[in-house]
Amino acid sequence: MINFFFLEAFKLRHKLRSWLGPLLIMILVLIAFPLSIDVSQYDLNKFYFSVIVVSLLMISFLATESIFSEDYEDGSLEQLYLEEKDFYKIVLAKILTYVFFIGIPMAIIGSVFSFANGVSVTEVPKIFVILSISTLILFNVFAFGSALSINKGSMLGVLASLPLALPAIVLLGRGVRTVQYGGGFFEVSALMAGVALIVMAIMPIIISATLKTHLE
Amino acid sequence: MQLVTANNLGYSINEKRLFHNLTFSLNSGCGLHIKGGNGSGKSTLLRIILELTSPSKGRVDYCKPNLQVSYLGHKNAIKHYLTPMQNLELIFKSSALPEAIKWMHTLGLNKVQDELTANLSFGQQKKLALIRIFASQSDLIILDEPFVGLDNTSRDLLNEFLQKKLASDSSLILTSHIEPNVLCSELVLTDNADD
Amino acid sequence: MLTSFIHRFSSPKSFVEVTTRLFPYVMFLGFSCLALGWVWGLAFAPEDAIQGNSYRIIFLHVPASIMAQLIYFFMSICALMHLVWRVKLAAYLIKSAAPVGVMITFIALFSGSIWGIPTWGTWWQWDARITSTLILFIMYLGIITLHSSFSNAEKADRLMSILVVVGVVNIPIIKKSVDWWSTLHQPASISISDGASIDPSMLYPLTISIFGMALTMIALGILVSKLYILNREKNKKWVQAHV
Repeated sequence: MINFFFLEAFKLRHKLRSWLGPLLIMILVLIAFPLSIDVSQYDLNKFYFSVIVVSLLMISFLATESIFSEDYEDGSLEQLYLEEKDFYKIVLAKILTYVFFIGIPMAIIGSVFSFANGVSVTEVPKIFVILSISTLILFNVFAFGSALSINKGSMLGVLASLPLALPAIVLLGRGVRTVQYGGGFFEVSALMAGVALIVMAIMPIIISATLKTHLE
Repeated sequence: MQLVTANNLGYSINEKRLFHNLTFSLNSGCGLHIKGGNGSGKSTLLRIILELTSPSKGRVDYCKPNLQVSYLGHKNAIKHYLTPMQNLELIFKSSALPEAIKWMHTLGLNKVQDELTANLSFGQQKKLALIRIFASQSDLIILDEPFVGLDNTSRDLLNEFLQKKLASDSSLILTSHIEPNVLCSELVLTDNADD
Repeated sequence: MLTSFIHRFSSPKSFVEVTTRLFPYVMFLGFSCLALGWVWGLAFAPEDAIQGNSYRIIFLHVPASIMAQLIYFFMSICALMHLVWRVKLAAYLIKSAAPVGVMITFIALFSGSIWGIPTWGTWWQWDARITSTLILFIMYLGIITLHSSFSNAEKADRLMSILVVVGVVNIPIIKKSVDWWSTLHQPASISISDGASIDPSMLYPLTISIFGMALTMIALGILVSKLYILNREKNKKWVQAHV
């Protein structure tokens, strides 16, 4: 599986638009928001988090849009399946690569922007933790949507996976609230970590079954 | 020694039967040329043999454990945003890479090894894809229309390679509208073919 | 043994034959119970102490909400049967149940919005129960859209089943949302563990309405599934004989 991780990293490194594009769009969205509201910006720190959460949702979808479709269309997915019959390992390696190269930078960007909008420097690591766990969950969910709609366009993937992503957003919102107003951060982040572990364990297997159906 | 056996294979899609009651076997060092008109199910049969597609009826059995199979279908499985050299680094482990590079030189792709694969011609891309077959140490080679897009020199090279592989006890299954220059049994798929 | 039992009773032909015979009775019973429950609830049940007469939409809203979740739960069982035992009929039933589920979920959301005006002073509130029911509505739409996108019907069946099984995680979230989060939406009127929280004079017509709604949805499901099965199996001799 480590080998697949490095192979995916090799591919992603040469596809600049696939990993840099989502990060730049996230930065643009986070910059655009304060510019779009009243110049006084007194309460920016109270509702700025909503923008980070929504942009995380959008960019996670964007980042995983072609996670499998490229390999499916050029025939690489078939070759990978012939090479490794435990297909979920390949899926897991792909998702982890995307989380490492895109998800974690997204969490860093979100944390930096939250600091730039009033969050104290001691709270920034907490923001980073909950954003990182959220990207892990969201990338898995949206990868499932991408796998379902592999050659049918991204809208179908959104329709299929967004209802599954919204409960993750509810959890993320709860986590953000503990940072804003204090109390229960450890409990909420432990719950999120537990959900992320379950999702990481189950989703690759479900996604590999979905991809196998497409290959048939 | 028997390598692959197929018993009573049948396949239907959307309630339409493509083929049924196919039974055949393939021994080591033997070739099987699957023939048929367009839409007769040749590529589907290859995918069933590879276990990429499940048959509607019947089964395929591999008689040799840990059988090494190499396959090239209609799609080349190469990345257009990488160069040929980078594609080979992606496909092959470091131990097999020197052999792959040697084949890249043999096929004349060394001249374009640092150009983006998207800028190569159809034939050059096909040759790059075929390196996967040339440089693999497989017991069974499965090819779907391998000669399409190749110039005469490359076609002769591929025929020669396949002859050598058969002589060294590897087996071959291929579909091709162009007659290969290798000794193969034939399996013809017609509408509602029985064998 | 289980596999052979499932395959014996899951032939589309048997299903169409049995349901064709049962349909008139199910439909009649369903409509009768609905009519009884609604007339009793709308005309004869007493006024609510706080909400007055506006509470009477409960006789539509609660049955619709329960059916919205139960239909998805039924679909998830069918999805498991299709994925594990490759039962074709199960996939046909999922495809048929989804539009019924969309319709009843829409009725639940719409009736809830109407009820919200006199009770909460708003058509809509982003609370856990309502939002998760909206998510369920979108999931139904996603399932229908996914299946319609593929020309290979067997592939579409399998992908749809996978999506249904994954989406079933939303059902306990909807069910427990009023307990897990402090929401505007009232807690369950009827609970298996805690019993009923409403007066028997309202409980009886509500129960009859729920039962009637269930039978009506089953009857509707039979109609839709019969049409779909006849279309999918149209090349088979038994369909040509039936039609």
